[in-house]
Amino acid sequence: MKPAPTLSSAFLEPGGQSLPAPLLELREQRGTALVDMPLPTRKTENWKYSSRHLKLSDELASTLPATGKDGLSLSLPGYRVVFHNGVMIPEASDFPDLDGIRIQRFADLDDDEAAGLAERLDNTLDTRAVQMARLNSARFEDGLYIQLDKEAVLDQPLFIVHEVTGTASGSAYPRIYVDAARHSQITVVEEYLSSGAEPVMVDTVTEFVLGDGAQVTNVRLVMEGENVQHIGATGVRQASNSRFESHCVGFGGPLRRHDLMVRLEGEGGECKLNGVVVTQGKQHYDNHTSIEHVAAHCNSEETYRNIAADESHAVFNGRIHIHEDAQKSNANMNNKNLLLSTGAEIDTKPELEIYADDVKCAHGATIGQLDKISLFYLVSRGIGRREANTLLTMAFINELVEQIPVQAVKDAAQLRLNDFFDQTFQEA
Amino acid sequence: MLSIKNLHASVEGEEILKGINLEIKAGEVHAIMGPNGSGKSTLSQVLAGNETFEVTEGEITLNGENLLDLETEERAREGIFLAFQYPVEIPGVSNLQFLRTAVNAMRTHRGEPEMNAAEFMKLAKEVSKQVDLDPAFLKRGVNEGFSGGEKKRNEILQALLLQPKLAILDETDSGLDIDALQVVSKGVNALRAKDRAILMVTHYQRLLNHIVPDHVHVLAGGKIVKSGGRELALELEERGYGWLGVKDEEATPSAAS
Repeated sequence: MKPAPTLSSAFLEPGGQSLPAPLLELREQRGTALVDMPLPTRKTENWKYSSRHLKLSDELASTLPATGKDGLSLSLPGYRVVFHNGVMIPEASDFPDLDGIRIQRFADLDDDEAAGLAERLDNTLDTRAVQMARLNSARFEDGLYIQLDKEAVLDQPLFIVHEVTGTASGSAYPRIYVDAARHSQITVVEEYLSSGAEPVMVDTVTEFVLGDGAQVTNVRLVMEGENVQHIGATGVRQASNSRFESHCVGFGGPLRRHDLMVRLEGEGGECKLNGVVVTQGKQHYDNHTSIEHVAAHCNSEETYRNIAADESHAVFNGRIHIHEDAQKSNANMNNKNLLLSTGAEIDTKPELEIYADDVKCAHGATIGQLDKISLFYLVSRGIGRREANTLLTMAFINELVEQIPVQAVKDAAQLRLNDFFDQTFQEA
Repeated sequence: MLSIKNLHASVEGEEILKGINLEIKAGEVHAIMGPNGSGKSTLSQVLAGNETFEVTEGEITLNGENLLDLETEERAREGIFLAFQYPVEIPGVSNLQFLRTAVNAMRTHRGEPEMNAAEFMKLAKEVSKQVDLDPAFLKRGVNEGFSGGEKKRNEILQALLLQPKLAILDETDSGLDIDALQVVSKGVNALRAKDRAILMVTHYQRLLNHIVPDHVHVLAGGKIVKSGGRELALELEERGYGWLGVKDEEATPSAAS
């Protein structure tokens, strides 16, 4: 029998040193634990469909150089932080100094703050379930630590732009930690972009910790190029009466993987997870979500839509775990999938584990094609095939696109969707 | 305007239309009546270009142009309009967006500039009034949650907006109460014009009390077995289809409504 592949030692070379000592120590500790880490194979349940797309060649092991310039011309409303290849670029960033809100790059933390953060990093993640997040913890070069004091409200969305430059092969490990104290509010937008054409891996981790009554909205837009393997994990822990909202919009690539884990740990907590995935060509996109109802009286609402064209492949795995004490939980999960070609594939799996006896838990998953009768109806009014297909496909995701609370993200997503429609649909 | 010669069509290998001949001139209103299963709806669908139906023989021309060579959308742009018996619900596409896209597709085809959102909204509101449909329906998904009558009015609304050369109305009266029937009939009568033809497909005579046809045809077993003037519809109402040697087990043309 062939031995299971392990992580190449090339990935365990110490990275950049410009971090405060406590974070360097943490990183080293995490790195030591990764020696001989088995890589996911198709026998690894949570990587069953995706392991063959994960290509960790040694050339990806090198850290990408920080470029120190603003490569993409962005004009974003609100506040912004720009990361290039996992390192923050202060001159491209623009965010305020507000009472009760601290937005700091890891490299700028003093030792005490860094020690406090080091104790908390990873504590939203089930690291057995997110193997690749462990690699981030061993490799991050920089990161953003956002702290909101109680009742602090960030008045505009904070855009965090993660760009990787594929001028040389390598990998980047962006890291975000958001600590939202009770009754604070923030909207964090993560945009993942790339330039260049050499093979690159982005392994990113974002964590949110919500105090009592905190309200956090996270918008995630994944739009990197065909040279980029993107692996992301988002961990969320929610205290009583807090509300977390996630809007993920992702376009495919050679590998796109996102693990989103939410733990509802206090009574009255609520989360809403929306996701839209669009794949074409030979792209691959894998979303794994997990909602843990730990405390009683929490609500979760999850809606994901996949659209797969050509020979692409989309995967949705939605886990809901209702713990024994989580009575009166209300969980609703819905996943609908649209196949635009006979060569496309979508795999969907709801996973419900319910250990409490007084709960409402609903789930539904469907896979279908565009409705021929609807298409006939539209073209019988003189509407061209391309436009008719586009209208019907947009109809499939409109509800989710409309809910994205940040107009700039809606616009950016719509532009990419238009390209997708142009490439996918032809006139008769 | 429309000329159908020896039209044969089948679905999944079963022949439904078995040699239809029909001539419709501009300005005329024709009614096709017949029992269930006679091929009335198939004829409408074939004219509009539904690919589920295969034309195996015969020809259809619209103003001399071979319709069978055209895709559904091209037929629509040449002026064919089908009011569906069962209008399709399309949640997620607003009625307004749908209507404007259709109108602009037609305008582009004719080399006219597209209408912007504001211009179109004004037009759509006016036409909505003509079919007694609350403009609030423009904002809803296409036919989404509309009652039967609202759906039929939405079909006539589309016909009024698109101004076709030939409007085919497939069982437009079915499922309508008398008030809705009057509204729909008013809309259809507004469509009557000397450069436009209307083809009504119906099981019942009652629609013809409101929209008086110039010609009535009886379709049975995939063929037109009898043609006449308006008096033919009245005769069918009194005598049923039996005297034509046609079975209609489900219903005789209803005198009840």
